[in-house]
Parts: sequence; C-alpha cells; structure tokens
Amino acid sequence: MSGQPVQPVRLPRLEPPLPGPPASSDAVLAVDHVARWFGNVVAVNDISFGLGPGVTGLLGPNGAGKSTLLHLLAGLLQPSAGNVWVAGQRAWGNPQVYRRIGLVPEREGVHDYLTGHEFVLLNARLQALPDVEAAVGRALATVDLVTDSRRQIGTYSKGMRQRIKLAGALVHDPPILLLDEPFNGMDPRQRLHMMDLLRAMAAAGRTILFSSHILEEVERLADSVLVIYAGRLAAWGDFRSIRRLMTDRPHTFTLRSSDDRRLAAALLAEPSVFGAELTDGLLSVRTSDFGAFTRAVPRIAKTETISLFEVRPSDDSLESVFSYLVRR
Amino acid sequence: MPIVGVTLRGLLGRRRTLLMLLLVALPVLIGLLIRLSDSRIGVDRVLDTMLVQTVLPLVALVLGTAALGSELEDGTAVYLMIKPVPRWRIVGAKMLVSAGLTVVLVVPSTVLAGLLAGGVGPASLGTTFGYAVAVAAGGSAYACAFVGLSAFTSRALVLGLGYTMIWEGVLAGLLEGTRFLSVRQATLGIARGLSGQPVREGTLELGLAVAIVAIAVGAAFALGSIRLTRFEIRSAD
Repeated sequence: MSGQPVQPVRLPRLEPPLPGPPASSDAVLAVDHVARWFGNVVAVNDISFGLGPGVTGLLGPNGAGKSTLLHLLAGLLQPSAGNVWVAGQRAWGNPQVYRRIGLVPEREGVHDYLTGHEFVLLNARLQALPDVEAAVGRALATVDLVTDSRRQIGTYSKGMRQRIKLAGALVHDPPILLLDEPFNGMDPRQRLHMMDLLRAMAAAGRTILFSSHILEEVERLADSVLVIYAGRLAAWGDFRSIRRLMTDRPHTFTLRSSDDRRLAAALLAEPSVFGAELTDGLLSVRTSDFGAFTRAVPRIAKTETISLFEVRPSDDSLESVFSYLVRR
Repeated sequence: MPIVGVTLRGLLGRRRTLLMLLLVALPVLIGLLIRLSDSRIGVDRVLDTMLVQTVLPLVALVLGTAALGSELEDGTAVYLMIKPVPRWRIVGAKMLVSAGLTVVLVVPSTVLAGLLAGGVGPASLGTTFGYAVAVAAGGSAYACAFVGLSAFTSRALVLGLGYTMIWEGVLAGLLEGTRFLSVRQATLGIARGLSGQPVREGTLELGLAVAIVAIAVGAAFALGSIRLTRFEIRSAD
C-alpha cells in the first residue's frame, strides 16, 4: 500500500466530508480527516465521511485499507491523525461506545470450546443486559442458529461461525453494526438470509457498514457505498451512480467467432466502438459504452451470420475498476 | 464475572490440564520415593528444588501467558475488548484465574510432597506450612507478572522462561542485587520466614519478601491494564 496522491470521485448524491467534530452533524459514524500508518506504510490516508442509518458498503480490493478503517471506527486502532466519532463520542479509548456498536471482525477466532449459546451468552453478560437469556434467544433466532446453539463452536462450519459472531454482535441490539467481510464462507442460501436480515435491520433505523471486495455483494445490499483504494477514499455516495460510472468507463472485450476479421469490421461501424485489434487469433475491441456494445454484438453477429464462441470483458477485475475510479 | 468463567474454561483445555497435573505430580512422586527409600534429604531442600525452582514458575508461566497472551494471539480477546468493560477488569480477571489455578495446583503438591518427604514431625510440618503459603504467594506473583508481560509481547512464554531460567536461575546466584527483582527469592524468603528457620545469608527477610510479592502483583496489574487500554488490533490490511 502506498500513499500515492489520488483524488476522490465526487458523485451526485454525496455526503460532504465533515469539517469538524460531529457535534454539528447528524452523522452516526463520522470520520474526520483520519489517517493511520504503520511504520512507513500508510494504511488509511486522510479520509473523511459521515454516515447515517441504512446499509453502506465499504468496497475495495484486498489490502485497500477496509479492515483498518473498520478497526478505527470500532476503536480498536488509534488514528495517527484526525478523529473518529461514533454517535457523537470518540471511538478510541472509550469502552462506552461498545454499548452502541456491534462488531463482526473478519479474521478473529471464536472461543471454540464454547457452545454457540454460551458464546452469545458471554457477549450478553459483558453488555450487562437485564434479561440475558431472552436477548440470547432473540439473537440466535435472528441468525437462524437456535437448533445448533448447543454445539461447540469448534464443530461449526465457516458460515455458521460468521453467523454466531453476528449473533454475538447483535445481542445488545446496537444501533450501529460494523461488519468486516461478513459473507465470507457463507453458502448462497445463508448469504441471501444474511442480506435480508441486514436490510431489515437497516429499515428499522440501524446504521450498517460492511466491507467487501465483491462488487455484486455490495450491489445487492448497499444503498450507498464508500470505495476505498490504496488507503484513500476513491468515491462515495449512491451505489447506482458509482455502478454507472464503473459500467460506463471504457471497456475492452475479447471475442472469438467464426470470422473475427469480418466481425471486427462490422463492429468498427458502431458508434460505441473506438478500436479493434486482431492479434494471435484473438479479437480485442475497445468500447466507450458497455451497455450499447453488449447489445450490438449479438445483433451484428446475427446480421452478418457470424457464430460467436466467446465474448469476454478482459479488464473487469476490481483492481482495474478501482484504478479507473481513482484516475478519474 | 463472565470473563473469569470464560478464562477458566479456556485454561482448562484437556492437554494443558494434563500437562499441569503431570508437572505438579512430580514433586509428590519425589516425596514418595524419599519416603520409601528412607532417605535423609531435608524437606526444605526437596520443596526448594522441586517446587519453588522448577514446578512453580513453570505452572505459573504456562497459565499466566495462556490466560491473556493466547487470547490476544488467536483474536478471541477482541470479543472481550469490544464490550463496555474497562480493560483493567479484563486484566484483573485474567490474573485472578491464572493465579488461582496456580495456587490450586501447586499448594496441594507442596503439602503432599512435604508430608511425604518430611513426615508429620513439628519441624517438618512447620517447613511444609511455610512453603505452602510461600508458593501460594509466589505463584500469584509469577502468574500476575506473566499475564502482565503477555499484554506487552506475543513472546511472553519465551521471555518468561528466560527470566526464570537465566535471571533467577543464574544471575540471582551470582549478583546479589538481582535477588530484589526475583520472585523466586521472595518466595524462598517467605517460606524460610514462616518456617521459623534462621535467616541464611543472602535470603530476603519475610517483610521484604512479602513487599516484593505485593509490588510484583500491583505493578503487573497496573502496567498490564495500561497496556491493554492502549491495545491495538493487528489490522488485516
């Protein structure tokens, strides 16, 4: 990771960076010019934003600084510069903020020798809840782990471990949820269940921030998004605007067909296509309009009676998407 | 207190418990052999060598470093730290459990080994009683020191072993001044003080030995709490 200078992309519906302490702001989570470095490695570099209720996705490639930012918000890391505010209180060195935060860490192990029920009970007791058993029952039911709750966590699958961690984070009914890669290890059914759950919790007024390096996860769940790249905030705001920006960027496609030369000539006549190259039997086409191009290809192939064997975007990795956002 | 319960469960894992039981059984076995062989080895020598110098620091080291250090290492401590609980309470609970378990394991071993090796004569009983109280105090000091140390470094086990083997085992015998920084010397001071044995040259007096144990416990608690209050998680990126 480096501290290369990058400019964030400003999108139509933006939360403005906070100018100062959140006393004057309604943001539930507020990050004010925060930086964090480890030795000479800059993990988070001068980031500011404010978040209110709803689901926000923290999107970025591996190593972008997502976990560092979540740990700063959770008071588990001290900012090297700037301030982090949770519900108007400083996050660092203030255990009382944990009454309002539920955190699901990505990597941390769970007490394998405890049963699921005992783990959630431990969390409830540490929160000094008045009726711990009722709270534990609710949390286990929420994550659909009641029937397996008497088994030791050591026997759980990765998806079940994620869910028991979430139950532990939910047991005190916090208004703020911080989730680090919460869908890791979950099967598709569990993933959908968790997404429904998080949506429902956001609809009930909670502020949920979850990290992911998978665009589709964020797309399906988040109302708004923070895109982090190389420790900098590359873009933030409404997810659809960012998605459009990502989709409308110049794309390169690789095609294989029964007649690549003729297909290239026909495609070059399309206004959305601004370049085509035929090298080593592979046709590469550059387009400025993802949607128009993907509609044009089958139409042209049909008109020209060319059989398409493969149409593949060749630069659709998240790295390329993020570096494009940063360059803009 | 929930932290006490979960720490106790964590420390009483099958393999660790077995190892600890084997360790504390060793002095009892030696005592039994002395009794059966009719040997004339003094009870204080047996308890000094087997308990104070060997078993006590090892048991306290394993339990003290596992109570907090292992949880910091595998990340389970995070679930305690993201709760509205002052960090000194976490350190206090860890110290209470590791010191308590050390005492529960080592004191019966001391009493049994002392009775087997020395019999039930008044002098032997006095020595055994003195050592039993001393290992309880010394074990608590060791365990608390190792809990505190593991708040600072993930290499607490190695450093603790270095302290007991090199500092206390070698340097304390060569350099007189180092005995004031030795839990072993404080333990021996308490044992000899309570046994009514004449104070040997180089042995700490009872009052001073008790003060050293108290300072070790207090300092470990204070420094461990301060360190854990400023604890930062290792970030994934």
